Amino acid sequence: MSETRRERFCGSPEHALDRRRFLGTLAAGAAAFAADMTVLEVLKQPVIAQELKSQQKRVILLWLAGGSSQLETWDPKPGASTGGPFRAIPTSVPGIHISELMPKMAQRMEHTTIIRSLNTKNGDHGGGARLMMRGRMDDPSLRYPDLGAVLARELGQAHSAVPDYVSFYSATEGRDFAPDTAGFLGSRYAPMELTKTLMPENIRRPEGLSELDHAQRAELRELMSKRFARGRVSTDLGAHNEAYQRVRGLMASEKLFDLAQEPQKIRDEYGPTQFGEQALIARRLAEAGVPFVRVGRAWWDSHGQNFETHQEMVPELDHVMATLLDDLKRRGMLDSTLVITLAEFGRTPSINPSLGRDHFASAWSATLSGCGIKGGSVYGKTDALGQSVVDGEVGAAELFATIYKALGINPQKNYRVGSRPVPLTEPGTEPIETVLA
Amino acid sequence: MRTPLHALLGIVILATGARATPADELLPADRPIEAAVDHYVDAKLTKEGVHAAADADDATLVRRLTLDLQGRIPTDAEVRAFVLSTEADKRARLVDRLMASPGFVRHQVDTTDAMLMAGSRGSLNDYLSRAVRENRPWDQVFREVMQGNDSDPARKGSSDFLKARARDTDRLTSDVSSVFFGVNISCAKCHDHPKVRDWKQEHYYGMKSFLDRTFDSDNFVAERDFGAVKFKTTEGEERKARFMFLTGRVVDVPGIEEPSKEAKQEEKKRLEEARKKKEPPAPPKFSARGKLVEIALEPTERAFFAKAIVNRLWNRVFGVGLVMPLDQMHSENPPSHPELLQWLARDTIDHQYDLHRLIRGLVLSRAYARTSRWESAERPDPRLFATASVRPLTPFQLAASMWVASTDPASLPEVAKRDELDRKLEEFAGRGRSLASTIARPGEDYQIGASEALLMSNSDRLKDMLADGGDRLVARMAKMSDRREKIELAVRNVLSRAPDEEEISLFGEYLARYEDRPAEGCRQLVWALLTSAEFRFNY
Repeated sequence: MSETRRERFCGSPEHALDRRRFLGTLAAGAAAFAADMTVLEVLKQPVIAQELKSQQKRVILLWLAGGSSQLETWDPKPGASTGGPFRAIPTSVPGIHISELMPKMAQRMEHTTIIRSLNTKNGDHGGGARLMMRGRMDDPSLRYPDLGAVLARELGQAHSAVPDYVSFYSATEGRDFAPDTAGFLGSRYAPMELTKTLMPENIRRPEGLSELDHAQRAELRELMSKRFARGRVSTDLGAHNEAYQRVRGLMASEKLFDLAQEPQKIRDEYGPTQFGEQALIARRLAEAGVPFVRVGRAWWDSHGQNFETHQEMVPELDHVMATLLDDLKRRGMLDSTLVITLAEFGRTPSINPSLGRDHFASAWSATLSGCGIKGGSVYGKTDALGQSVVDGEVGAAELFATIYKALGINPQKNYRVGSRPVPLTEPGTEPIETVLA
Repeated sequence: MRTPLHALLGIVILATGARATPADELLPADRPIEAAVDHYVDAKLTKEGVHAAADADDATLVRRLTLDLQGRIPTDAEVRAFVLSTEADKRARLVDRLMASPGFVRHQVDTTDAMLMAGSRGSLNDYLSRAVRENRPWDQVFREVMQGNDSDPARKGSSDFLKARARDTDRLTSDVSSVFFGVNISCAKCHDHPKVRDWKQEHYYGMKSFLDRTFDSDNFVAERDFGAVKFKTTEGEERKARFMFLTGRVVDVPGIEEPSKEAKQEEKKRLEEARKKKEPPAPPKFSARGKLVEIALEPTERAFFAKAIVNRLWNRVFGVGLVMPLDQMHSENPPSHPELLQWLARDTIDHQYDLHRLIRGLVLSRAYARTSRWESAERPDPRLFATASVRPLTPFQLAASMWVASTDPASLPEVAKRDELDRKLEEFAGRGRSLASTIARPGEDYQIGASEALLMSNSDRLKDMLADGGDRLVARMAKMSDRREKIELAVRNVLSRAPDEEEISLFGEYLARYEDRPAEGCRQLVWALLTSAEFRFNY
């Protein structure tokens, strides 16, 4: 009886962890620990890194919180009464014009498709943000996962050492409107959220605690926990253990968040802005295999002074997005990385007395670039004033189906919640085939 | 229209998931709750040919009870007092003592708040602390929360339940149905429920009708005098919803016709005046929301209300409800023990919805006191209650327990000085609240994730707890010279039990590695115990 216990604390051969081995590890201490911290070393081996790059797909979402104006970005209406002061300029793809505030993206349109025909029917920040992060309306009986959690699950590795859903959102405005959520997928797919700094919370070993102390106490913790689990069953017990097992891997990813690791030349390209730095970290994460990173840029909610706001914020978006696409391309990652620009909604064509544009969900734009996308194209059309969609109307569901398909995920794939099958997108939803490569 | 007889039959079938057992075939009403629980649980075990697991030992039981009734682990002295007591009724005495302490009120408030406010950012703490302290009957709490009248000092804060939902009456409809009646009807919003024939669009919009006149007026909850809900059937036909309760009971409600211009203007005036005075708007002449409460508590309709709370409290102390999921009480999802649920609901109604009495009965049952360990091959279905379940502590339970566990027991008032000790323990619970809020937002369905593991592993929030000075456990351990005694103390204090020989030798070897830094060794050992699964769960 006690003999069995000594050999296998949890009863299963895979998890066999006997006391002698535990003490042996303590003795081997530093060596074993060093091995553990080299998980990410694989990335330094060019062949493996290359293979990872070509096979693994990932997404960087540039989230334009508050609702950027489609008229000052992707769907300009120069000369129209609703058009505002900015001109449209031609792009590297004949026939496609975008706002003059985006000269850099204009030179790189061949990687990007613009969807100009979103009609998402929800002009409320909270409701709109939840809809556009989850691809569907709320259902009080089901907590839907958002795009990041779904992709963490679909594209991440089961025993991934890196985080698989990272979300930057530094501004306070609007952060609560679209809380990142793993919904029914559970805490395993919950995001690592960064709101204050570029470095995730609690990822660094506490000061004054040596690596060896940190590793050994964790082993002791695990050993005790496995003894406790013997003869007991609970899904929460499993989740608890798994959460602690991920700690060392997540800590090892600290360097990914450290911009000092990046050559100064690259840092200069992205620029010293917070948005630029976060986009660069997103690229570093994507390169290390993190399947989903959201970079939130706030606050686009220009009820007053819409044109000043956009004159300031659109060029920054233009610069960061163009730099990101260039960088991904240079590294051979653009074919496997999908870059999305999206918001909770667009802005009204009509200009209010404060020279602002208000919330508008009836005819607005999003873009998809890179992985699985037919670049240099435009899908859908709005009328001359931008008031409504006249061709190719799509909603959040179609956009999400398109994103899934571009990544090689079947949009009709079912999850099961209890006995209830829950498809990734509602049955009957068609992806926008013409924008897919 | 249904005849009353049909309606009655409908209720019975709907609310139990099967035809109800006639009252005189149930166990007599005068049995103690714990006896009824064991009667029905044992009957099912016999029927299934399953032997129940042995009783948990005393140390496990006092930990379980203290966590369930006070939201914290017991101190070492409390464990010893219970284990060493030879009184025949020591368990009942312990339960009564735990329920008479301030910790009981705090923990009840926290768990009830998590249940009522799940998914919202609001809190009913203000109102609930008063209501729980007075042990207000559950039907009274329901009435007060649904009325949301803050001007009565006894009900201050009660409007927060409605406030958190008044801007979205679909959400209000769904939450009221789920929280108070154990029924999630939102699937029936767009079409008759595909799987559950009980729930038609009519039920959803019927329930919504009662609540759709409620709205938010400058952060006050207001209600209109008129308004009717229209909906589109799947065939595209537009229909006016009837005011219908879940049982199918339909009532006539005034104000369903389009109001006159004068009536509309009068209402506008009423709201504007209130807004100017920054006061809640006067209530309507007829409250549709009030009507819902009235109907839901009528003898012919109250089965939903009573069974929902019984099931939720059962779930809280047993880890699995008699009906699972908790908000799917309908005919196609029968309870594991239908007669027991029926008996408990009747008992709860007969005793004026006294929840404290119900909790006391549940935790005094033999079924509650079993071990969670099942050593032989196949573990029985958890819904047979042959073993105890393994439940993660809520963030509040965890944080309060961490403070208790990391405190030098010699610094605590002795058990005999009950009030003093309780005050000290409440202080720890209070101290834990900020840590709890960083672990997870309190709710009924949160999960343990990597962020918690990172927090426990690396954050400086545990630093004060694990300090080696003052009243800290680590400080006491560091001063002790005997290694075995250190380990005894740590395991007893953190895990509420004595260490076994294997642990003594394992931890001894661990501490030996820190011979030159004894305080550090003690700190890391206590950390490993505090973050172990055994500490993280109520088993």
